[in-house]
Amino acid sequence: MITFKRILALVLGLGILALTSCKDDDTKTSDDLVMLDIHFLHYGEGQPLLFDSLIYVNEAGNKYEVTEIQWFVSDIILTGPDKTTSITQNENIHYIDTNIPETSTWTISEGVPVADYTSLTLTFGLKDEKNTVGKFTDPPEANMIWPFHIGGDNGGYHYMKLNGFWIDVENERQPFNFHLGVGSVEEGGETTFIQNWFEVTLPLSIAQLSKRDTVVLPVVMNVENWFGNPNTWDHDVVGPKIMKNQTAMRMGIENGMTDGFSIGNIEIINHEE
Amino acid sequence: MKNEILLSAFLGFLLLAGCGDSEVQKGPTPYEFPGIFYFPKDLNIPEDNLTTEEGVLLGRYLFYDGRLSGRTHQDSLMSCSSCHLQQNGFDTGFDHPEFTSGRPRGLAGTFTPHYTLPLVNLVYNTNGYFWNGFIEASNPQYGSEAHHVPAEPHFHMKNIESIVWMTIVDPNEINGSIEQTVQVISEIPVYPPMFKDAFGSEEVNIERITKAIAQFVRTIISNNSKYHQYIEGKTVLTESESRGMELFFSEEADCFHCHGGFLMSTYEFFNNAKDSVFTDPFDRFGVTGDIMHTGVYRAPSLINVELTGPYMHDGRFKTLREVVDFYSDGLVISPYTHPLMKYISTNGVQMSEEQKDDLIAFLKTLTDHQLLTDPRYAKPSDLN
Repeated sequence: MITFKRILALVLGLGILALTSCKDDDTKTSDDLVMLDIHFLHYGEGQPLLFDSLIYVNEAGNKYEVTEIQWFVSDIILTGPDKTTSITQNENIHYIDTNIPETSTWTISEGVPVADYTSLTLTFGLKDEKNTVGKFTDPPEANMIWPFHIGGDNGGYHYMKLNGFWIDVENERQPFNFHLGVGSVEEGGETTFIQNWFEVTLPLSIAQLSKRDTVVLPVVMNVENWFGNPNTWDHDVVGPKIMKNQTAMRMGIENGMTDGFSIGNIEIINHEE
Repeated sequence: MKNEILLSAFLGFLLLAGCGDSEVQKGPTPYEFPGIFYFPKDLNIPEDNLTTEEGVLLGRYLFYDGRLSGRTHQDSLMSCSSCHLQQNGFDTGFDHPEFTSGRPRGLAGTFTPHYTLPLVNLVYNTNGYFWNGFIEASNPQYGSEAHHVPAEPHFHMKNIESIVWMTIVDPNEINGSIEQTVQVISEIPVYPPMFKDAFGSEEVNIERITKAIAQFVRTIISNNSKYHQYIEGKTVLTESESRGMELFFSEEADCFHCHGGFLMSTYEFFNNAKDSVFTDPFDRFGVTGDIMHTGVYRAPSLINVELTGPYMHDGRFKTLREVVDFYSDGLVISPYTHPLMKYISTNGVQMSEEQKDDLIAFLKTLTDHQLLTDPRYAKPSDLN
């Protein structure tokens, strides 16, 4: 009988312990986390991009429109004076597809530590070790496949597909596929693969967080900048396709590195209010 | 004393919960889908119709049983297999003994709105069914006026199950009634016990009929073509096939952006520059209402493409050569053409005759000969 009472006491005791461990604690500790929602926005000439609208003019003077953008961002790191936080969720890979609105927000449900942050580093595309053939088997990510013979073992997927139309020199509306990924150069019967992913570090200011906050952090892709600065992108010269044109891909990559991305207005939502 | 009672009740509950009733009632056996490393892991199986061995077996019988039409006269039999022939990769194909044009006609003699799509690897498609993607998990619609399915809450338009009851009542297909079908199937002695094995009782109803057929269809998987064997390192391609593969997966021919991946389709929707005038009410625009979806249709899987002609939603191309010729120099621009059709200024990719031969040689490596006679998918031998 005594044994039964002890068991009962043990069960009740463990239950109380489990319940009390869930109680909110207002004391801030070094392990406090905030929620992070990263919004991926696509801008044209400083405003939200209007898709399927032939209203944009690039640096070369080409009138163009964008129909869709699909791309990978990876290895996002937040850095501050006292803290560096790397996202581990989903292997720190996120796929954005303007045809799938829900992909425009990446909710970091694992949270990030409460700290002051002064920059965000992102990788455009996928680094070699994350870009292995067959990594993604489910759509939509799997539909980003980059052919093996022009990408090799570590060139499994497009970094980005940006599709649209431009008005050519003969005033005809022509399709273009601004597709970026691993490059290939053939010389003397040998194929050399060139990793084109890049990291970019963007300044920001996140401070005075408390643990019930949600940080809404907009990462903006400035579409027109991918077609200018430092390389002027003339669709009439480059043509509609670039996947096997490493020189053209490099031009686009250099443009993207320069000012293809920026940080929008950061919002901090305090759920205590 | 009070504590003893509480403890006894607690332990008793644990005991009961731990035992369950698995020893008492044996349910249907879960069906195990093969783990194919290069195919999607996300299977399109609705939560209310999990696949079981018994459900699949029943579904296979119904798939092949012409009495699914709700009729018993020899001239009035029709089932899924009437149009979807195993020897043609579960498509209608060029050489259908009855539908010689490759376009099926229903029991009332009228043509289906579109040519058929093959019933292969559907379990991996999470992006809607039909050429226009009308049947899709998020479709809130009940019934379909166009297909004569009543707008009743149990007639959802979400998955393969929906396609079965549409097929039964559609005037362009079986042109029957759900009541007739249920009546006839329930009176065939072999079926009530099979329904009991699959669903727990001998009751025959339309929900169970559609669920069983959908379960069977989901098990039809094709991954044993020469190309898939090549991926698995089990065989090599000829020089022509290799050149064709390189063309397929290059921007020169640029097939892969729509038909890429190991399923040979993205299952996405495109206007592939076939037309400049659009009159078909069953295009993607008919589903979404988005003007940019005018003349837009699904990019079908190319697995078994050698057998699944005529091609395109309207069967306009009778041979693979005609398809390749079209992509080489037959494109027509419209405001709705997808930008992946980037060779529009030259009406196509401008392939040489040798390149066309190579591309077709590669396309023929996508034929899964084992599927065509696989007994798991064949008509049950005891079904007349």
